[in-house]
Amino acid sequence: MAFFSYFQIQMKRIGTLIRTFPLELVFWIGALIGILFIDPYGAQHFTLCPLENLGFHWCPGCGLGRAMSLLTKGDIAASWSMHPLAMFAFGAIGYRIFELIRHLKTTNHYG
Amino acid sequence: MANVLRHLPELEGMELGYIQGILKNMDDDQANLFAQVYRARRKDNQMVLILCLLGFFGFAGLHRFILGQIGLGILYILTLGLCFIGTIVDLVNYKSLAYEYNIKVAHETLSMMSNNTNYFPNVNTKTGDNA
Repeated sequence: MAFFSYFQIQMKRIGTLIRTFPLELVFWIGALIGILFIDPYGAQHFTLCPLENLGFHWCPGCGLGRAMSLLTKGDIAASWSMHPLAMFAFGAIGYRIFELIRHLKTTNHYG
Repeated sequence: MANVLRHLPELEGMELGYIQGILKNMDDDQANLFAQVYRARRKDNQMVLILCLLGFFGFAGLHRFILGQIGLGILYILTLGLCFIGTIVDLVNYKSLAYEYNIKVAHETLSMMSNNTNYFPNVNTKTGDNA
C-alpha cells in the first residue's frame, strides 16, 4: 500500500516536470549550439532536414544553418550568398529566447 | 471569491489553475467582466494547432503571426518553417505556445481593469450615469 502511494507521488512529480518542461527554450538554445558546431566549408554536410531525407534537394530554408554558422565565423559575404536571412534569424531567435526566459517564472504559477 | 468554472468553463489544464489564481481575489461582478474580456481576446490552442499544420502545405508560421511573434513568423514563412523542423517542434509544443499567449492576455486584461475606474457595474447604476 505504502509502496503504491509513493509510486503515485513520483509519477505525479514526473508528470508536472514534463508539463512544465521548457521545450521551446531548450530547442532554440540547442539549435544555436548545434549551429556553432557546423563546419560550413565541408563539401558533404550532415543534415537533419526531413525534406532532404525525403529526397527533395531544394527548399526555401536550405543553407540557413550554414549561413548562420558562417556569420559566427565572421564571413559575412559568404553568409549572405548562402542565405540572406541569417542575420535576421539570429535576431528573431535571440529575441524569442530572451522572451522565453523572461516569462519562465511567471507562466508556471500565478502570484 | 469567484469560481473559474462558473465564469470560464472552457478552460482546461494549467490555464484553468492559473486563471483560478487570478479570480480568487475578485468578487462575482469583477470576475464576470474579466471573463468577458478574456474570452474575447484569448486564443484557442486548437486554432494554433491547425495553423501550425498548415505549415506542411507551404504556409508555415501563421501561428507565430497569430501569437504576435512577427519576427519568427517572417522567418518561418520564408524558410518553409525552418525546413519543417520548426513546424514539427511547434506541433509538439502548441499547447504551451497558446498558454503563454493567454497568460499574457490575462495580465493585460487585469491591468486594464485596474486602470479603468468604473469597473463596478453596480456603482455605475447608483450614480445614474445614463449618458
